[in-house]
Amino acid sequence: MVWALTLFLVLPFAEPPQTTGTRPSFSELARQADEARSADKLPDAIRLYREAVRQRPGWSEGWWWLGSIYYEQDRFPEAQESFRHFVATSPDATAAYAFLGLCEYETRHFDAARRYFSQWALKGSPGDDRLIEVAFFHWALLLTQEGRFPQALFLLQKAAEQHGPNPLLIEAMGLAWLQMRHIPEDYPPEQREMVWLAGSAAVFASRSDFARTQEYAARLVAHYGDRSNVHYFRGMMYSFNSQLEEAEAEFRKELDVTPAHASAMIQLALAQYFSSSQLSEARDFAQKATALEPKNPLGHYALGTILLAQGEAQQSAQELELAAKLAPADAKVHLQLGRAYKKLGRTKDFEHEMAVFTAMKDKQNVFATPEEKLQGLPKNMEQVK
Amino acid sequence: MMLRAAVLAWALALAVPSFSADTKPAATFEQVSRAAKAARDQNQDAEAIRLFRQGLRLKPDWDEGLWYLGTLLYEKEEFAEARDLLRHFVAQNPKSGPGWAILALSEYHTREYQRSLEHLQRCQTYGVGDRKELADSVFYVVAVLLTRLEQYDDAMTLLFQLRSAGQAEANIIEPLGLAALRMPLLPAEIPQDRRPMIRMAGAGALALEGQHREEAEQKFRDMTAAYPDEPGVHFLLGAFLLDERPENGISEMKRELEISPSHLAARLRLAQEYIRQQNFGAALPLAQQALELDPKDPSAHMVLGETLVGKGGLTAGIHELETARDLAPDLTRIRWDLVRAYTAADRGEDAQREKQEIEKLNQQNAKPE
Repeated sequence: MVWALTLFLVLPFAEPPQTTGTRPSFSELARQADEARSADKLPDAIRLYREAVRQRPGWSEGWWWLGSIYYEQDRFPEAQESFRHFVATSPDATAAYAFLGLCEYETRHFDAARRYFSQWALKGSPGDDRLIEVAFFHWALLLTQEGRFPQALFLLQKAAEQHGPNPLLIEAMGLAWLQMRHIPEDYPPEQREMVWLAGSAAVFASRSDFARTQEYAARLVAHYGDRSNVHYFRGMMYSFNSQLEEAEAEFRKELDVTPAHASAMIQLALAQYFSSSQLSEARDFAQKATALEPKNPLGHYALGTILLAQGEAQQSAQELELAAKLAPADAKVHLQLGRAYKKLGRTKDFEHEMAVFTAMKDKQNVFATPEEKLQGLPKNMEQVK
Repeated sequence: MMLRAAVLAWALALAVPSFSADTKPAATFEQVSRAAKAARDQNQDAEAIRLFRQGLRLKPDWDEGLWYLGTLLYEKEEFAEARDLLRHFVAQNPKSGPGWAILALSEYHTREYQRSLEHLQRCQTYGVGDRKELADSVFYVVAVLLTRLEQYDDAMTLLFQLRSAGQAEANIIEPLGLAALRMPLLPAEIPQDRRPMIRMAGAGALALEGQHREEAEQKFRDMTAAYPDEPGVHFLLGAFLLDERPENGISEMKRELEISPSHLAARLRLAQEYIRQQNFGAALPLAQQALELDPKDPSAHMVLGETLVGKGGLTAGIHELETARDLAPDLTRIRWDLVRAYTAADRGEDAQREKQEIEKLNQQNAKPE
């Protein structure tokens, strides 16, 4: 898989209008520029397109080609400038937002990059497969840097399933899984091996190759078992392979290393709940986790679910309402909330939540845009955090 | 630092004839460019940088300005800005090997490793003339980046070439150890607790390459004694022993596979030893598992093909060998396997065709570079 894009996307543009004059006319310049580009004479093409857009700043096609050539040459500041003009002169320029996001990433304007990627996603993530892949990958790097790890992994997961082990993907997944708020270009070199081992395990897990997952995860724990997030990570890898006892043991080890690890507590709470063994311990873990991370929807979901099992429907509904507020697009939260309302005899609310659940579930599977999915923890990522 | 100093020395050596310094305010591009070059010739770096920037504002595509400002900024460790200027430079001078080299080295410092490797390889296509120091730097960085990007065998080949070309052993040992142990790290990323292990692996590999077999064995034995549970160490000792005392080599390979079951090279090397011993029954599961680990690996298809042919499964064996040949058309060993298999299957024409291809490959390989 190649993350660098080679692009000369063909867009449906109208022919530039003809003009007359003694110096090269706009239409002559545009024709020569296109010819130079087609003949791979890129310095000439750049000069000609620049002259053409200088003559006619509203010529969006010229800006597009200029941006594309600069991007192809890794000249991101210039590409960024050209794509900005393109977007300004072409209201339907949806795919260009992805390119703008990529240029902003490369010039280290990370907030701007995030904004452009969001805009692009809101427009339905248009573009060809390679653009979508590259844009999602870089967006995932930014989500990791921002601390939105489940969302980052949601985006990386698909690439891992599709392409398997790849050094860049491994590094990206390692950072996200170990909850390191860095991009690959700026994390401490001494953490490289740790990131590589975690990333390799995660990529193989995404392809259901659990033998290799455990091989890398074991190496990770052997050398870095005293670091935060490492046992939590291994626990999650065990969970993916339905090795629940081993997973639980790792989550407990994580709490020895990092006593305030909310995600490990949530996993322990859910593990206790699903095994129906220790509901009171499950409740303790969930309560501690929500106190530590009050904005983590999964914590409220876990607590609400456990309270419901203990027959405390009123308190359960309160927790699940909070979870729904924090992750409105998470279908499982609405399902559980509906059950709590039913217990409380709130029939209309129950019916409403079930309708939301049904719509959301279908939408998550079929219609949801990545941006919508990223609002909450999607169903297939339940175990991510 | 040594690398950057070499680059600067070389860039300065390319200096065009000097002009008299003119640091007065300059209005025209000609005046500014003359003053910039003069300042550079007189080692007034700060002034040269200011004037080159001024010149590039007046004429953004100015090649000399892009080049000299790029190299000056590289020397000042302003790698991101140097990188941007050199990207512009190589876009206008796509066959400039030195341009690609300094660009790639800038990208190495900004940790854009994949891009850096691609650009270094482009530099190798165009060459850097007779600038040996720069060429050595390029080779070295290519080798460490190949390891970082998990292309270990290519990295080792390059590192051995560097050693043959006179590169100091001290510079090679750690990169070689990393590649030999299949750890995708830069030397600067080596964990302290395993630096000695990596150095032992590198030293052993160098000794082996230099035909100092006793020394190599000692290094590998010291390494396995000190780090018995680390992935890769038994493979290195095992690969050595398979040539010397095969039964001991087999034991080491088996130990390696207990520690790291996904070690593809260990699985293949062990299967090849069983093939050599005509023990195709033992080779078969190893070859099949290797292919499961990496279905696109030509060696895995080759070893499976050799095993199947050895067991009498000509049709299936030929199929695997043909797949291997398609994945690695330049490997003559696969083609020799096919010649033998086609002959055994009474497919004389196919065998003849493979022989012709081998002849062509041999001629290509015999051509002087």
